[in-house]
Amino acid sequence: MSDHSSRLQPMGAVVKYLVLFGGAFVMVFPFVWMIIASLMTAGEIQLRPPVWLPAEPQFGNYIELTESIPIGRLYFNSLFTSGLIVFGVLLSSSLAGFAFAKYRFPGREALFYLILATMMIPFFVTLIPVFFIVRQLGWIDTYQGLVVPGLTSAYGIFLMRQFIVSLPDELIDAARIDGASELRIFWRIVVPLVKPALATLGTFTFIGSWNAFLWPLLVINSRELMTLPLGINSMKSLYADNTNLLMAGTAVAVIPMLIVFIFLQRYFIKGIALTGLKG
Amino acid sequence: MLMSSHASKTAWWLPEIPKSALMRRRMLWAYVFVSAPIFALLVFLLGPILFSGWVSLHRWDMLSPVSDMPWRGLSNYSYLLTKDPVFLKSLGNTFLFAIGGVGANTVLGLGFALLLNSRIRGRTIWRVLYFMPVITAPLALAVMFSFIFNRNYGVVNNVITAFGLPRQPFLSGPSQALMTLVFIAIYQYVGYYIVIFLAGLQGIPQDYYDAAQVDGAGKWQEFRFITLPLLRPVMLFVVVTNTIGALQVFDLVFATTGGAPANSSMTVVLHMYNTAFKFSRMGRASAMAFILFAIIMLITIAQVRLLRDRTYQD
Repeated sequence: MSDHSSRLQPMGAVVKYLVLFGGAFVMVFPFVWMIIASLMTAGEIQLRPPVWLPAEPQFGNYIELTESIPIGRLYFNSLFTSGLIVFGVLLSSSLAGFAFAKYRFPGREALFYLILATMMIPFFVTLIPVFFIVRQLGWIDTYQGLVVPGLTSAYGIFLMRQFIVSLPDELIDAARIDGASELRIFWRIVVPLVKPALATLGTFTFIGSWNAFLWPLLVINSRELMTLPLGINSMKSLYADNTNLLMAGTAVAVIPMLIVFIFLQRYFIKGIALTGLKG
Repeated sequence: MLMSSHASKTAWWLPEIPKSALMRRRMLWAYVFVSAPIFALLVFLLGPILFSGWVSLHRWDMLSPVSDMPWRGLSNYSYLLTKDPVFLKSLGNTFLFAIGGVGANTVLGLGFALLLNSRIRGRTIWRVLYFMPVITAPLALAVMFSFIFNRNYGVVNNVITAFGLPRQPFLSGPSQALMTLVFIAIYQYVGYYIVIFLAGLQGIPQDYYDAAQVDGAGKWQEFRFITLPLLRPVMLFVVVTNTIGALQVFDLVFATTGGAPANSSMTVVLHMYNTAFKFSRMGRASAMAFILFAIIMLITIAQVRLLRDRTYQD
């Protein structure tokens, strides 16, 4: 808003940068400290007076880590289940959103209000029954148990409906006159036009399921099926006395995601601003 | 907005079957498109919430058959509200956690957004740095901060003692645990609210500020009479979503204090989790969920009423 202040008050600009830098330091420091500590020996971390850098970086910590933690497996499980959930949410949300936006059918309004109502239900209210259902289905400690309850999103349907409803009907009618099938219209006309919305919804869904903890904690028991947050949780007790290894494990779990974010930050932030204002 | 294209004169609950075969076929496709998601929402959301309400009126350990649940009426609710000190404690903690986190995130989020919206170099870089914790798993942040705030070898205590001040217990101190969690929650989400506020600020037309300058308005007056009123919808979004999220906090508390010491940092969802999955009291845990759900709804309604745009009513 204010281009005028900094021109007149050079001191104001200095304070501005100092505040921004202070904030950024607080934001970045925990990550930096995690990496520094991950290169210390277990003894160096507890030294008094404290040391700020390892005498010699212990890269061996990372090797030791991979010997007891199946990092690759954790990554595979997180990618696989998050990928399935993103795919399911995007497909189901855009198909249902398309139907609600561009078709007339008996019960449309009632069903849409139903979706609006379910959007407001917090996860903890349905946690116990959904866990019970999944257990009755025999899905405890399986990928299905982790993935299937997350394949649909009331919010996603709502979001996609809002985007698709603003597409001109003429486009769809023209395609129909050309003899395109309903599925073809969806795939060839609707999906390409709502790609930005799909990207946003996909990003949100991915971050949500990638970082999810409570549901995986309930459903998954075996080490082979653990996702990254569950891996961090089990390292917490495994490395209770080896903070250096715990930090190495946490770094391995979060740094790659941060790098992806830094490369794609423009899209992330655009999408978040978009939904924030829409909501 | 919903029924704008709905030209029919019949009521919405009466089926309205199209005359032509072509229209009927299109209608069938629409049902195909919505069937799977609707089915999933019924099974994993709507059915469960009804079932959860039913369970909250019973005693149930999840192992005995659903048909044999002993009826308890409202006694789960009355027990929680009058006889369960941990629940009341967790409710108070959750409120404090939400008030602290939402207040700080709103003020800091708006403050930093204003800074980033002024003439500044490297806006993208600042934004990225502030946003990093938002996309990091809460579990990872919990582990990082448990170490940073450790009583014996945490870096914060190392700095404090270097200045000759006494060590602080932080997460392990009954009077400090909850406040430390509030700090971590602010750290975690402030970047998100900065981005939201920044988008809101960038949506305010520069003309308004130019006009205000012509009229001789000062910085504070610009903020008070242009920025704040026009940010009202964004403010509402930030306060409502942040409150709803904060009242449901689980991961962070589970992985740092676990509610300790002496339940001083116990929150409702963590207490509910323990009640259900440690002590197998599904009825009581479901009642807890409904009480919190009702509280969240009431608070949301109150916030919407207080903060919604009243330009046309005043």
